[in-house]
Amino acid sequence: MSERRHAIQVRGLVKSFERGRINALNGVDLDVGEGEFVAIVGPSGCGKSTLLHLIAALDRPDEGTIDVFGHELQTGRRLDHYRARDVGLVFQLDNLIPSLSASENVQVPMFEAPYSGHERTRRADERLAQVGLTGKGRSRPPQLSGGERQRVAIARALANDPPLLLADEPTGRLDSASGLRILDLLEDLRNQRQLTIVLVTHEQAVAERADRIVEMLDGRVRQRTEVSPGSTTVA
Amino acid sequence: MSFLSLILKNLVRQRVRTALTVLGISIGITTVVALGVVTDSLKATSGEILQLGDADFMVAQEGAADLSFSILPQDSVSALLEQPGVESAEGMLFHVARVGSNPYFFLIGREHSGLAARPPHLIAGKVWQAGATDEILLGKRAADDLAAGVGDTISIEDRPLTVSGIYQTGRLLEDGGAYAPLGVVQEIAGRSGVVTAVFVSVSEGADPAEVGQSIEEQFPGLASIVEVGDYSEVDQGIQFLDAANLAISVLAVGIGAIGVMNTMIMSVFERTREIGIFRAVGWSGRRILRMIITESLILCVVAAFVGSALGILAIRAILLIDVIRNVLEPQYGAEVFVRALVVAVVVALAGAAYPAFRAVRLTPMEALRYE
Repeated sequence: MSERRHAIQVRGLVKSFERGRINALNGVDLDVGEGEFVAIVGPSGCGKSTLLHLIAALDRPDEGTIDVFGHELQTGRRLDHYRARDVGLVFQLDNLIPSLSASENVQVPMFEAPYSGHERTRRADERLAQVGLTGKGRSRPPQLSGGERQRVAIARALANDPPLLLADEPTGRLDSASGLRILDLLEDLRNQRQLTIVLVTHEQAVAERADRIVEMLDGRVRQRTEVSPGSTTVA
Repeated sequence: MSFLSLILKNLVRQRVRTALTVLGISIGITTVVALGVVTDSLKATSGEILQLGDADFMVAQEGAADLSFSILPQDSVSALLEQPGVESAEGMLFHVARVGSNPYFFLIGREHSGLAARPPHLIAGKVWQAGATDEILLGKRAADDLAAGVGDTISIEDRPLTVSGIYQTGRLLEDGGAYAPLGVVQEIAGRSGVVTAVFVSVSEGADPAEVGQSIEEQFPGLASIVEVGDYSEVDQGIQFLDAANLAISVLAVGIGAIGVMNTMIMSVFERTREIGIFRAVGWSGRRILRMIITESLILCVVAAFVGSALGILAIRAILLIDVIRNVLEPQYGAEVFVRALVVAVVVALAGAAYPAFRAVRLTPMEALRYE
């Protein structure tokens, strides 16, 4: 990892909720290299989703700094622009808009990019093809299976070609076969597009698909583990 | 998919609520349009009076509640004739009577000399003889209504009058009424020695507005009406209608805005999580604002069109009533419809302001956590 450029650099991140009664993060440091696939694991309430939301600029930290590809997120400047262009988000719930078709859902982030209506449609079709949903563009989310909906969510996350993909339990609501296909897809996308991926999961098998596992406990990073085929190295 | 089609999908998915909101605002707009058309039509009818006798302007009693209540001594005609710039002045007495099916039969008393000098366009017969006391010149509409022709006798408040001729001017009030000798109308109205107004023609090169102004300065208590806008000086009815129109427009805005706000707040609350998704994928607060305000504008502009159409239908419906048809020729001026559109846009902006503000203030996480 040391040869890679930094994609994400987090230092001393602190975040609490309910006026300080719940300390979600207690001084997290994290480095993710460009093109790296990192899995964050840990028990419920350990702060892994909070960390992901802060990196996605969905929330603001109480203390600490977050640098993503040169964007200093703690300053709070141009976060809309950052979310639209630099980061793609995949949630545990697919968070698709049921009244829109799959293609229209994929086009939603493109309104913040300079594409014409025709270009948006074409790009959405391309993204859907990349996630294996050719011909499903006109289907609405209720007409799709859970795995297909999560693929649409991944296509939406990639709508504006972000260099970073953040996924919060993307297989959490899927059966094991569908979950595996989603992981295969993420790996393929990483290889094809040199994506940096940060994935939050509580499933060890899912985490082991990453280059590196970051284990969290009580709002802190407890352990970093390098993953290589057939073996793991604890750092 | 365009931004507009995304917005239309938002409106279409709650069809019943959208339709009811449009209907609610439309009712307000209908009132604005219908009352606006009535006001404009009455103003136009009033404007027609100004054209009687082809004069340049009219002089009447200042502050009269209604023009028909204006009373001027008949000898004021000769006093006005002596004013600089006045070429001719003719006193006329107006009397409204029920004749045939028309309760607003507009009877105009004129001296023979004035009528003979500037007669309306005659389509049958002739102006009555000088000194006649039992003849009348009947308007085309009135003649049709009464099925009367030249030589027939009609009765106005029990006074029999023989039709000497029939005229047509294209002006509702005039064609629906009649000209009769001034003395006869004074007797019928019980107003001897007075006229309602004096119609003044100015000398060549003189400015009617300046002559009118000079008359007002010379004769306090008189008002000169050069154009329809001056009517409020002698007819407070028009003022009341204008005030009612404004009040209804303000009420339509208030009630409409509450309706739209209710719809938009419900829509924003229901879609809080969706707004969170939009924010999470990078939509700016400005785009969220545009989405909500455009939704509101679409609702209200559609309501403006529906309301305008209903307003025209309402006017057509009330024109089926004879009494109204005899005094009202609908004037569908652009100003009325522009006012309806302005009311609709104000309703849209006022109604969307708070929901849009709330939606923009939500952080993505607050919105995504919303159940």
